[in-house]
Amino acid sequence: MPFRRFATHHPFATLGFVVVAWLFVPVGLKSFTRASFFELTAPVTVAADYARGLQEYWSLRLHSNHELIVAGRDLARINASYEFAVQQNAELQAGLERLESLLRLPTYNNYRLEHARVARRDFSGWWQRIVLRKGKNFGLTSGSPVVFSGGVVGRVTEVYATTAVVELISSPNVRLAGIVEGANHVMSYQGGINPTFGPPMGIVELVPLDTFASASSPKRLVTSGFGGVFPPGLTIGSVTKVELSTDGLFKTGEVKLDERLGSLTEVTVLVPLTPE
Amino acid sequence: MPPSESNPLEHSGSLLESHKAYDPRVIFFYFALAILLLILAGGLAYQQLFKTETYHERERVQSQRRVLVPGPRGNIYARDGTTILVGNRPRFSVALYLDELKSEFLREARIIKKNYGKSDMPEAALREMPFSRMSRVSVVQRYLDEVNKIIGRSEKVDAASLARHFGDQLLLPYKLIDDLTGPEYARLIEGLPVRSPLQVYTSSTRFYPFGSSAAHALGFVRVNEELNVEDFPGEDLATFKMKGTIGKDGLEKTFDSQLQGEAGGTIFRVDPAGYKVNPPLEKRLPLQGKNLVSSLDINLQLAAEQTIGDQVGAAVAIDVATGEVLTLVSKPDYNLTDFSPRVSHATYTAIQAQGGEFNRALSGLYPPGSTYKILTSIAALRRGAITPDASIIDCDGFLQKFNRRFVCYNGLGHHHDVLLRQAIAESCDLYFNEAGWLTKPEGLAEEARRFHFDRRTGIELPGETRGMLVPDNAWKERTKNEKWFPGDTANMSMGQGFVLVTPLQMACFTASVARGEVFTQPTLIHQPNRPRQKTESIGLSREQRAALIEGMEACTLPPKGTARNITTIEIQRVPGVRIAGKTGTAQVSTKAGMINIAWFICFAPVENPEIAIAVALEGDTPGEEFGGGRNAGPVASAILKKYFEKKNGAAASPFQPAKGK
Repeated sequence: MPFRRFATHHPFATLGFVVVAWLFVPVGLKSFTRASFFELTAPVTVAADYARGLQEYWSLRLHSNHELIVAGRDLARINASYEFAVQQNAELQAGLERLESLLRLPTYNNYRLEHARVARRDFSGWWQRIVLRKGKNFGLTSGSPVVFSGGVVGRVTEVYATTAVVELISSPNVRLAGIVEGANHVMSYQGGINPTFGPPMGIVELVPLDTFASASSPKRLVTSGFGGVFPPGLTIGSVTKVELSTDGLFKTGEVKLDERLGSLTEVTVLVPLTPE
Repeated sequence: MPPSESNPLEHSGSLLESHKAYDPRVIFFYFALAILLLILAGGLAYQQLFKTETYHERERVQSQRRVLVPGPRGNIYARDGTTILVGNRPRFSVALYLDELKSEFLREARIIKKNYGKSDMPEAALREMPFSRMSRVSVVQRYLDEVNKIIGRSEKVDAASLARHFGDQLLLPYKLIDDLTGPEYARLIEGLPVRSPLQVYTSSTRFYPFGSSAAHALGFVRVNEELNVEDFPGEDLATFKMKGTIGKDGLEKTFDSQLQGEAGGTIFRVDPAGYKVNPPLEKRLPLQGKNLVSSLDINLQLAAEQTIGDQVGAAVAIDVATGEVLTLVSKPDYNLTDFSPRVSHATYTAIQAQGGEFNRALSGLYPPGSTYKILTSIAALRRGAITPDASIIDCDGFLQKFNRRFVCYNGLGHHHDVLLRQAIAESCDLYFNEAGWLTKPEGLAEEARRFHFDRRTGIELPGETRGMLVPDNAWKERTKNEKWFPGDTANMSMGQGFVLVTPLQMACFTASVARGEVFTQPTLIHQPNRPRQKTESIGLSREQRAALIEGMEACTLPPKGTARNITTIEIQRVPGVRIAGKTGTAQVSTKAGMINIAWFICFAPVENPEIAIAVALEGDTPGEEFGGGRNAGPVASAILKKYFEKKNGAAASPFQPAKGK
C-alpha cells in the first residue's frame, strides 16, 4: 500500500525534488541552462518569423498591379523627400564637424548600421522587449542602441548566436540622457509602467523649472548624445505634461512615445565601431 | 441483515473496503474536531475582528516608507531685484545603497577569509581591519570601479567614512562621488543599469555666481541634520531625511527663517524587496523659501573689491537718504563657493589663518584718525568754541603747551592762521588740538555719543562688535585708573588715542553729516519705496554747516586738499561730480611695530548728497607711506565712478559672474 500511495503522488514528489535540486544548482549553471534554453528555442522563434514573413509575402502578392503601381509612386515621392532631408543633414553634419573642430570638441561615437527584422515582440507589463533575427552572427553587441524611422527603439540587452533581445524605451529598465529639442539641459528619461495594450509612455526627470509642456503644446524630447551610448538628436518622444518634482529643484514629466513601437517589423542597430 | 450472511468476503476484512454508517466511538472525534474548529474560528475571528487595527498598523509600518525633503532656500538678489547673488543649484552625486548588498558582503567575506588562510598576512593587520570591513571596502570599491570606468575617474573608497556610514546610516545611500559634472552625470544615466544598487542622486546646494564678492554680507550655510515637516502624517514610519541647510553667517543667518524653504515629504508603499511602488500614497511638495532683495549693488561691490585687491581693510557705501548699504567690503574674504556644500578643513584653516573670516566692516575697530576731525568740528562749532571765520591758532608745525610739544604732521609750518575750511581741507592737527581743548573732552565725548559712536549700528548682520569706544574722563579713571590729560584731548580731537570706531560707523556718520542729521540706520534690505530717514538735526547754523561742507569739498580739490588725488589724477576723477571728503591716517601698534590705518570718508554730490562712503585700509609695513588720500581715496573713487556711471546711464562694464559648477 505505501508503494501504491507513493506511485499516486509520484509526479508531485518528482516536481518537489526538481525544485529543491534547482535551488542548490550553482548560479553559473542556471545562467548557462537559461542561455542554452534560449539558444535551443531561438530557431523556433526564427522559423516562426520566417513563416510569418512568407505569409505576409503571399498576402502581398494578392494585391493588384494597380495597387502596386500606386504604392511604388508613393514610395518614390517619400524617397525624394528623404533624399532632400539626407542632403540637408549632410550639410548640417559638415557644419557640426567644422564647429567641433574649431572648438576642439571630442567627436561622437561612430556606428555601423545593422538593419534587423523583428522576430518576436513581448509587451507584457514586465517585459517590453523585442527579439531581433540577428545576433552574434552579425556582430551585434550588448548595449548597442537600436533605432527606427521614428527615433529610439531601445537598447540591445542580450545577444545570442542568431538572435538578440532589445529592451524597448517603454520599459522601466531603460534610461537615457535626453534634452528638450533646442535646449541644452540634460534630463533623465526612463520608461514607465506600461499596460500591455496601452499607449507607450515614459517618465522624464530633472526637467528645468522654466520648461513648460502640455498635451496641447508638447515638447520634443531627443537624445542628448552626452550619455555616450545614443548619438544626439534621436527622437525619444513628446513631453506632454510636467509638474514640480518632490525635491522642488526640477520638474518631472510624462513622455508620450511613438505608438509604432508596438508594431515594429524592421529596426536598425547602431553597432559602435569602437566598442568600450 | 448481518454482514456475515450477506457477503462472506467481508469476513476476510482485509481486502475490501467496508463502511459503517454509524460508530459511537467516532462521536468523540467529531466533538474534538468541533472544539478545534471552534478554537480555529474563534482565533480567526479574534485576529480578524478584534486585532484588525493592530495588524493593519503593523502592515502599514512595515510596507511604507516616508521620505522628507528640505525645501530649497530662497534666493538673495542684488538691489536691482534680478541679479542673483545667492541661488540654488542641483548637485549630482552617485550613491550606493549598501542595504541591498548584504549577500555580496557575506560572500566577499568568505572569499577573503579563505584567502587569508593561505596567505602570511600578519594578525595585527586583521585586527586593524576585520574580514567584514575588508569585504565591505572590497565590494564598494568594485562598484566604484564601475563608475570610474564610465566617467573616466580613478576614485578610491574611503574605508573610514564607509565604516561610519555603515554603522550609523545603513538605510541611507552612501555617496561614492559627490558633485558630478554635467557630462559625468549624463554618462552615468545611460551607463548604469536601472536596477542597480548604484544610483545617481540629486540634491540642492547653494550657488554663488560672484564667488567671494560680498562674502561677509551674504554669509554661508551649513548642513542641518534636523528636518521636520509640520502636519505631515507617518511619524511612526521608517523615515529617510535628506539633509537641509541652516544659515551660519551674514544675511543667510539673520534671515534664515525667511530664506528657509518649507520641507516636503512623500510616503511610498514598498514591495518586499524594499523597492518603492508608484504612485506615492501621500505627497507634499517642498516649497522654496522666500526671496530676499538685498540693498547691495553688485557693480559697486565689485568695483570696490577689485580696487582694494589684496590689501587688508573695509569699505562701506551707503545710500544717504535711506541708509541702504550699497557696498560692504571686508578684505581678506573667502570664496563662498568653497562653502558649498561644505568647506574642507584645509580651506577653512587657510581662511582663518589669513583672517578672512573676520568682518572688518562691522567688527574691525580702528582709531578713525583725522576723519574724526569732522566730529570735532561739529562739537566745537555747536559749543561756540570755534567759528568758521575766526582763526584759533597760528600753525607753524609745532606747539608747546601743557609742558608738551604738539606737532602738526600735515602742515609742517605751512598752515599759519588757519580757518575751519582750510583746517579741514589740509587736516591741520594743531587747529583741531586747540578746538578740542576749547570744546573740552566732555564736549567731544557728548557729541560722539550724539552721533551714536558709542553703540552698535544695528545692521541686520551677526557679529557686529560692541567694542567701539568713546573715551572720557570717567572711562579713563574707571578702566585705567588714570587722570585725563590735555594730551588725551588732543589725541581724541584728531581721532587718535583711545577712540575706536568701525568702518560701518564712519559710513553712517558720513551719511548723517551729508543729510545734516546725527544718525543713519544702516540696512542691507532693499525696499523700492523706502522713505528718507529723519533723525535729530546736526544742530549747526547754515553758515557753520556750509563751512564744514566747503572744507570737506576743498579736501578733495587742489592745490592743498589732502584727497586732491581723486580730482587731479585722471584715472580716479569722477567727471562732473562734486565730492566732500576727509582723509585720515591713524597709527596702531602691532607686533611688527606702528602701522598706519588709511581712512577716507566722503559723500557726493555735494549739492544733493546721494552716496556716502567710508574706507579703512590697514598698512602692513611700519614706517611706510600709507595714508588716506593715497591709499583709501582710490577705493572711494572707484565706487563713486561706478555709481555715477550707472546713474547717468553710461554702459556699466558688464560683470562676470563666477562660473557655477
